[in-house]
Amino acid sequence: MSPKLKHPLSRMRCFCSKTLSQNHRKYPINQVTKTNFSDSLEEIQKRISSSDFIAVFLQNTGSFSSPWHRVSPFDTSDTAYLKAKYAAERFQILQFAICPFKLQASKVIAYPYNFHLFPRDELKIGMPSYSFTCQTSCLTSMAKEGFDFNACIYDGISYLSKAQESAAKVRLGNPIAVDHVTKSSSASALSVADTVFIERIKSRVKHWKSVYTDSSAKIDEALVRSLRKIVLGSEQCGTRPCMTIDVCSERQVQLVLQMLEDHSGDLVPLIIPAKGGGTQAVRVVLTSSEEDRGLFRRELETLEVEQNRRARGFREVIDLISASQKPIVSHNSLNDFTFIHSKFLAALPPNVDEFISSLHLAFPQVLDVNHLVKDIGLVRKTTNISATMSYLKNRFFAPIAMEIPHQGTENEDKIHGQNVVKISHLFGKLYFILKMTPSAIQSGDHHLASAIHGHANIFNIKPSRPQEAIDEDINIWTNNARKVSCKDVVFLWGFKDRISAGMLKDQLQGSHEVFTEAFDVKLVDRSCAIVVFWQPGLSETFLNVMNSKEISGPLREMVSEGMKAAGYDIYKSVVSSGFWESLLADALDKALGGPNYVSDSDSETKQSEIYWFSELMINLDEL
Amino acid sequence: MKYTSLKPQQLPPIFRFRRRARTAPMKKRLPITTISRALTGSYCSSTTSTTASFPLKHVTRSNFDSALSSLSHHIRAADFVAIDLEMTGVTSAPWRDSFEFDRFDVRYLKVKDSAEKFAVVQFGVCPFHWDPLKQSFIAHPHNFFIFPRQELPFDGPAYEFLCQTTSMDFLTKYQFDFNACFHEGVSYLSRKQEDEALKRVNSIYQDEPLDSCNSMKETRDNPLVNIADILFAERMKNRLIEWHNGLLQDRNGGSEIQPSLNRSKQQFQTIFFKMRPAISLNGFTSHQLRLIQLVARKHFKDLVYLRGSGENSDSHHLIVYTDSEGDKKMLMKEVKDEQHREVEMKIKAAIGFRQVIDFLASEKKLIVGHNCFLDLAHIYSKFLGPLPLTAEEFILSVNKYFPHIIDTKMLLNSNNVLQQRMKKSSTSLSSAFSVLCPQIALGSKSSNLALQSCVKVEVEVDDMRSSNWNSGAKHEAGYDAFMTGCVFAQACSSLGIDFKHHSSENLAHNEKLQEHINLLYLSWTNGDIVNLSTGRTCESVGSSKHKNRYPKILFERIVLVWGFPSGLKAREIRECISRVLGPTSVISVYHVDETAVFIQFSKAEMVSEFLGLKESLERSNDPISVLHPFAKLLEGGKTRAASYETYKEICSSSISKVLFADQAEAVGIKWKTKLVESSKLEVQTREHESLHKVNSVSEKIDDITDELSCGQLSPDEIVDSFCTAKVTRIRTSNF
Repeated sequence: MSPKLKHPLSRMRCFCSKTLSQNHRKYPINQVTKTNFSDSLEEIQKRISSSDFIAVFLQNTGSFSSPWHRVSPFDTSDTAYLKAKYAAERFQILQFAICPFKLQASKVIAYPYNFHLFPRDELKIGMPSYSFTCQTSCLTSMAKEGFDFNACIYDGISYLSKAQESAAKVRLGNPIAVDHVTKSSSASALSVADTVFIERIKSRVKHWKSVYTDSSAKIDEALVRSLRKIVLGSEQCGTRPCMTIDVCSERQVQLVLQMLEDHSGDLVPLIIPAKGGGTQAVRVVLTSSEEDRGLFRRELETLEVEQNRRARGFREVIDLISASQKPIVSHNSLNDFTFIHSKFLAALPPNVDEFISSLHLAFPQVLDVNHLVKDIGLVRKTTNISATMSYLKNRFFAPIAMEIPHQGTENEDKIHGQNVVKISHLFGKLYFILKMTPSAIQSGDHHLASAIHGHANIFNIKPSRPQEAIDEDINIWTNNARKVSCKDVVFLWGFKDRISAGMLKDQLQGSHEVFTEAFDVKLVDRSCAIVVFWQPGLSETFLNVMNSKEISGPLREMVSEGMKAAGYDIYKSVVSSGFWESLLADALDKALGGPNYVSDSDSETKQSEIYWFSELMINLDEL
Repeated sequence: MKYTSLKPQQLPPIFRFRRRARTAPMKKRLPITTISRALTGSYCSSTTSTTASFPLKHVTRSNFDSALSSLSHHIRAADFVAIDLEMTGVTSAPWRDSFEFDRFDVRYLKVKDSAEKFAVVQFGVCPFHWDPLKQSFIAHPHNFFIFPRQELPFDGPAYEFLCQTTSMDFLTKYQFDFNACFHEGVSYLSRKQEDEALKRVNSIYQDEPLDSCNSMKETRDNPLVNIADILFAERMKNRLIEWHNGLLQDRNGGSEIQPSLNRSKQQFQTIFFKMRPAISLNGFTSHQLRLIQLVARKHFKDLVYLRGSGENSDSHHLIVYTDSEGDKKMLMKEVKDEQHREVEMKIKAAIGFRQVIDFLASEKKLIVGHNCFLDLAHIYSKFLGPLPLTAEEFILSVNKYFPHIIDTKMLLNSNNVLQQRMKKSSTSLSSAFSVLCPQIALGSKSSNLALQSCVKVEVEVDDMRSSNWNSGAKHEAGYDAFMTGCVFAQACSSLGIDFKHHSSENLAHNEKLQEHINLLYLSWTNGDIVNLSTGRTCESVGSSKHKNRYPKILFERIVLVWGFPSGLKAREIRECISRVLGPTSVISVYHVDETAVFIQFSKAEMVSEFLGLKESLERSNDPISVLHPFAKLLEGGKTRAASYETYKEICSSSISKVLFADQAEAVGIKWKTKLVESSKLEVQTREHESLHKVNSVSEKIDDITDELSCGQLSPDEIVDSFCTAKVTRIRTSNF
């Protein structure tokens, strides 16, 4: 169903894509919308089961709302997860590209698909989502790439998560077939009311049934027929006649079922659940024979399967991937899998450990390209796939060619989903460089073992470097990350607006004796800086000074101008209490003022370590 | 109806429809498919030559400037301007929907939340102007696609908006073009945003000392360690000395210097920058540029390194020769001022669509909308600044901005003459349009006598004109604005306003409109009306719709309960409370959503009584409390309760969780029960009350025996009831 668009503006999209397609090399990618979704499923299943890996790439409506909401090197796995969770719960996936691929000799044989998604409340039950957030900058950059919003919103595939599907079953109120009447309680003595009720229903059913079974039934006039329908309360269930008996309690349900079982074999009862749980009515369907009854039951089953499939929508693909147990290759796995978990599995759990174990059940092997890149010694911001690609091209000889056997969607304008092919390609190259073999993947070669090992590496927090790089002398290969204990980190805010990290460091240097030792300053956002003391214990001294009356000199001056400081535990409490103010300084103030703040930090915080990337410090300075 | 719970699903069909209607973007009007079908029919059969179906004027980035100049001309000439908005959603959570249980201030908070969270994607503006020669109105419908692109280069929080999935569905149903909006929509800045941007720019330019201009990032004098860097710096120094000397020679009538290498000629291109000789640096890496900058600063007093940000994103780097220290300062100032001007221009350009709103405000035109309180809130938050915390402040500023506003829905419901004309049909926009303006809605000039009194409306789009126009595009903001204007024009004529003679008179001051002007529905659901001129609110008048539908709601008698066991029905809640506080204690139980209810008591004291009882039960935690009738409500230990004020507090939060119980948790509510402050007066009445309570206990026992005789109570329930009596007695004896 393509939308009829009202005015020529919409044609502009085609124009955009055409100019783009001339500039870029593009891979043929199957574009899947709700019109061709069910037709493509079988083929996708085949590709998934015959692949070695599956690459995924998500196009979302937003990433992070404020600079400090972004996952940074100074985040622990917990805070990083909570940041990713916050984004995954608010934003929406508009495109989900998957690419099952095989590695053969020096070729990556890939079958890329790009699914257009849109959450549509198809069952009218407020699912899959009530609302979602869009970031205008994100939509603008998508527009620049020639994204077709109409195709996405009009033709996107909807979905339900696993948890939502089970909830929907209850709320949809589909008729449930009854197999055997539980006789336990109904055997108890019938009250007068029960007997009256049974008799009334019995006569109603008898009257209704007689109309259909009476062989002498003549062809009535249309008017008479419809009148009779109203009087008898008769309805059609497919081709079979049926009637609905309203009930007020579970007891009455039992009575009706009992009565039906006792009295006639050709009536099939169905229970209509009420919206809020319990039973609303019993529907009685008249079948003509034993075979017909069997046929009817089968019909009900297929109907249910069909309905479930419709409700699942795109999640069918996620289920296929999950069932295949193939390793999944992603470029930004923390981000991608928090989204996948919250949209297609269930609501995100409150902490990272539960998340990892829950995710592990569905996707046992996740490979992060970013992490693998780090494994070969490249430590720099690798958020851009193309940049990483050209870096690899310059440093390594990895002649890996892409081969995409299928034709892609005929429509030339659609170029979406290129990134997933790039990820596959990148992975192919990394695979070559790291000399991983498929058997190593299965048996758990150390690279992979470290990559898979407890998904922690997806957070860029604990880069698993079992042995230090052999080539330590070579500058670019040197890992710039230095380990810092959380307790040596102090957050500083309330200083002058638009100060640079360098200026702040200069100011601090002369302000107190703790700053005579080595320390580093980095701006988190324009309101707040993070200070690292390279000598253990100094952070505590500094925090004590900040809170004491003996504070003096230039530091006193700075404090009187509004500067505040807090340890890492306050930052943790900011993230865990969800104080997502746009400036970190405001959030820290809120956490400090909050009643739930306990001053004695938990021991866990003291032990955790974060990494300090001097490389990143420069990047942030340039912001 | 009086004692039943009011779960949305259980509402009678008419109410149910209204609820559903509200989930659609803005005031959803009945899709009048039958009429449009009739329309298409009339296109084919109609022989009137005036029937035209050219599209209304769509405005996007590409034609904004030209459209703005013609529109401002039309607005200036207009008698009134009709407006309409399409948004990406209405309620950010189901419990923020409008209820009959909304107090005035709560209703405003809900509108505020909606306007803050959702985006306006289409803005319809339709100026109407009376043409005395043609004896008809001329309408100029404009349909603006707007989209808040973040165009200014300042960091800060990202612009975000919410989309409600049902509203997106609604927009797709009416063929909304999302590409036109997201790709080509006109951007805007609110006044507040503009002020802040200007302030930030000014402070940047004032604070910075002259010699460290924005273009010159501070580079610390790191000693060069790398041998390659040292060699490079040395070579650059020589190169600059060569150029520098060359300049001086040149001035003394010397010869042109010959660049030694072709490559370096490209890299060092001599140009003139602001009447001064300069080298444009091309093809260096950023690291090399940094080194060059270092060299220039270290070794040359009269060379200035500049990084100008060109129109396109890649910046160009320059080394400029200055005559003297004074000249250097002058150059820096010139560069700085230029950059300052550029940024200011950018800010001015980013105002975009707000120019239309500013023009409407400065012309003080009569604004006509249909059920437009939410629209006004959107206009305020998008084009003025953050919405005020209270409705009173909001009303005051809106009135300053737009002194004359007419709401057609209000007009149709409050005037008897008009109600007669409407013949009790729905006052939704499309229904009002087809009833009041059949000649336009049906697109044909039938000979019906009633049509004689119809106000003629001619439509003008660019150069096309038609007296019988229909774009066929319902629920497009531009067309809806046109319909609103037509309804208003017709309503005026029904009220006896004669355009033929009053053409020059300002419609906003017409005495026949005075009792309707600036009156708006704060909430159509419970008929609260707000007067923008006075800032007062009042109950609905004239309309029978809002009369006697529900017992009057007294907010001090309401308790908010949430977090109770899921699936607990309103009826069950009512039963278990009635067993303790008496059979007539609960007036109604209203589901806010599946996790929360409002309980309205018959007496205000019962609120504190209920909360107190709940609190003490939870505190004591002895076997008796397990047997207490409240146990069913308190099961799971997550049931929380508070007075109506807490609902307001939660509504004012910027967080929007789908379920109310989750919301309360996110807002940070940790307590289980918020007791109502017991005043002195209450303490005094306690004694009195306890006496009364003992009485009521004995009454209860009577009740039980009564019920026993009827054989309706199970033995368990009797124990329950006795325990209740006991507990109440224990409690009362404490005082």
